[in-house]
Amino acid sequence: MSCGKPHATPCTEVVASISAYIDGEVTAEQYQVITVHLSECPPCVHEEQAHRAVKGLVVRAFSRTKAPATLHARVRATFRSIDEQ
Amino acid sequence: MSAQLDDPGTGEESTTTESVAVSDAELAAIFESEAMGYLDQLYGKALQMTRNPADAEDLVQETYTKAFAAFRSFEQGTNLRAWLFRILRNTYINSYRKAQRQPHSTSADELSDTQLLEVESRNPSGSRSAEIEALERIGDPQIIEAMNTLPEDFRTAVYLADVEGFSYKEIAEIMDTPVGTVMSRVHRGRKSLRSLLADYARAGNGFEGAGPSSDEALGGGI
Repeated sequence: MSCGKPHATPCTEVVASISAYIDGEVTAEQYQVITVHLSECPPCVHEEQAHRAVKGLVVRAFSRTKAPATLHARVRATFRSIDEQ
Repeated sequence: MSAQLDDPGTGEESTTTESVAVSDAELAAIFESEAMGYLDQLYGKALQMTRNPADAEDLVQETYTKAFAAFRSFEQGTNLRAWLFRILRNTYINSYRKAQRQPHSTSADELSDTQLLEVESRNPSGSRSAEIEALERIGDPQIIEAMNTLPEDFRTAVYLADVEGFSYKEIAEIMDTPVGTVMSRVHRGRKSLRSLLADYARAGNGFEGAGPSSDEALGGGI
């Protein structure tokens, strides 16, 4: 994958760090390097967008789960009974 | 069964002097006020792991029972949420996962890079924006199904990062693994999901092409 233009940082390095980049897990220096690369490399922007999309889908699919109300009561009852022992 | 309940924090020495002064009743009150607020989050992860509401409830209850029993050794002021998730996962691995028939029990380390890259390279290059549009049309059941096909180590790293918003450092504590490994698992997990979802999208929409990924230099980031 390459846009064919020369970059200061190879696309493979940028793409390998793209998850950490979108998760805010890169250093300020890395963030700067990747941001500059993305500003001049559409294929890497596509990689970034695809990873963001996947992240968004996972958030959407799993974020609505709520425990049944009965579980709250059941758990409280459990550790209270342990406490009384 | 002795689950690995060791405190992910460090100073087991320093807590001893403080905790002596706290009565069991006080400790129970602290635990209840601080830990119960995470029940929905823990249940969500339990459900994702067990894929069964009854098992998820049992797993959460067992997690709280163990956490409560070990709470005196928990260092107050450290990361309670991460500690609870760690106990949840260890409990799952030590009991439920062994007991259950697990079709997807491959460890992350067993799934080779070659296998992952094969999945990716099957997809010819297509229109890029079309791929993202197609991804966004995929329904939640298929997302959940795709997550379930990932090795547990990948699935958990992605889940904890995305759904729970844990930092890589916290995930490293929960999964008892180096931060670099977490980074690799999140990245490879998302890449695998992308390929799987592209397959679903193609099957459903005549969609062509998850973009080619050539970043075989795993962990070889900047």
